[in-house]
Amino acid sequence: MGVLDQFFKKKDLEITEDMVREALKVIIDPDLDKDIVSLGFVRNLKIDRGAVEFEVNLTTPACPVKEKFKSEAEAAVKSIPGVESVHVIMTATTKGQTKSPQTANSLGKVANIILVASGKGGVGKSTSAVNLAYGLSSAGSKVGLLDADIHGPSIPMMTGVKNPTQMNGDLVLPPIKDNIKMISISMFSGTDQAAIMRGPMASSMVKNFVTQVDWGELDYLVIDCPPGTGDIHLSLAQIAPATGVVIVTSPQDVAVIDAKKAIHMYSTLQIPILGIIETMSYFEVENKKYYLFGEGGGVKLAESYSLPLLGQIPLEVQVSESSDKGSPVVLQAGKASAAYRNFSGNVAREVSILHATRGESLSSFSLKWRGA
Amino acid sequence: MRSYIGVKEIYQSDEKHLGITWTDGAESKLDVVELRRKCPCASCVDERTGERILKPDSVANTVRPLQIDSVGRYACVIGFNDGHNTGIYSFKYLRQLSGIS
Repeated sequence: MGVLDQFFKKKDLEITEDMVREALKVIIDPDLDKDIVSLGFVRNLKIDRGAVEFEVNLTTPACPVKEKFKSEAEAAVKSIPGVESVHVIMTATTKGQTKSPQTANSLGKVANIILVASGKGGVGKSTSAVNLAYGLSSAGSKVGLLDADIHGPSIPMMTGVKNPTQMNGDLVLPPIKDNIKMISISMFSGTDQAAIMRGPMASSMVKNFVTQVDWGELDYLVIDCPPGTGDIHLSLAQIAPATGVVIVTSPQDVAVIDAKKAIHMYSTLQIPILGIIETMSYFEVENKKYYLFGEGGGVKLAESYSLPLLGQIPLEVQVSESSDKGSPVVLQAGKASAAYRNFSGNVAREVSILHATRGESLSSFSLKWRGA
Repeated sequence: MRSYIGVKEIYQSDEKHLGITWTDGAESKLDVVELRRKCPCASCVDERTGERILKPDSVANTVRPLQIDSVGRYACVIGFNDGHNTGIYSFKYLRQLSGIS
């Protein structure tokens, strides 16, 4: 009897894969609005009596809810009777597609290209691009940063990256600083020299940049665009198959007006707008916020175009100081740093949402009316 | 908060109606003459006050689109046979016009 008892008891408590999957269905991805089992995030499920081990494979290493998923998954599986230990491994495969014949060698293994653009100059576009790259990288993604602002390259100063020294065949190998591959125009002309070029030359320079650099395998390539809505932007949009664009604006009307132009341009170019980031949002002294450049320009812009507001960055001395020192603010403590980290998580999230929803909606259409 | 509603299908439903199936399953049937009268462009609506400049009577009942093209992922531009082609109709606006939030 004793033996049978034990047999039945063990039978009762046997944990099946289905039980684990069922338990994990309570965890819903808030962005994709589906449970993580249906989304196929749960992989390599191993059950050894009371010990359960599995992988949760997210769509981006920079997922803002990574830790929440992990603890929820642990709790859900632990609640199954008989489970003694749970080991959750968080992994990520960044979805993306940027292939085109022209750029197969240089960008063939880049999953996502994110443009950082603004209509107006001086709104903190490069600072946002650098901090986005660092933010994504510190969350575990493989990141590249391309400074395409050919008339005012600032990435080398902001990051302290050195010039490239190696080639792979015809392609330049980008130098690596803080785990991020970086290329800037100033690496080829010097920071003090101005790139005095007419439109066609500037455009072909940008084209060379994109097609003659061996970026290798990347989750995200962040491109710091020049300000404005001109020739170089059109070339970039044609050459680099961008996943999406982040629009940077300060709260002032004069910046917002130009940001709208950028939105219209990228819409015309059919590059999805991931959202708006508002820089120089406010200056905080003793818990009181001063809106030096007006309040909520970026917020209103996001609302009027139904775009996500990806972040609001407060004015802090630290932001500009750290940029000048070559150590991005996102690596440090403080409110602006936290805001930038939050921003980069939001960008990664929007990119994932974009991939998840892309299947259903027409990315472009053209309808000819009959009998008009 | 985040609206990522896009167009699943867009078609000419009859002689004067534009049909759209949205990604959330909602359906729109829009009268193209009304669309022309409600053109949101800056020469039809005052940009500052939002006041309609275009007089509805000035649009003939016979006006029809020639072509409808998407603008990015958020809107479409309609070229009408009266020569007017500057109106960018956001998906949000089109849904509003068809009484969908």
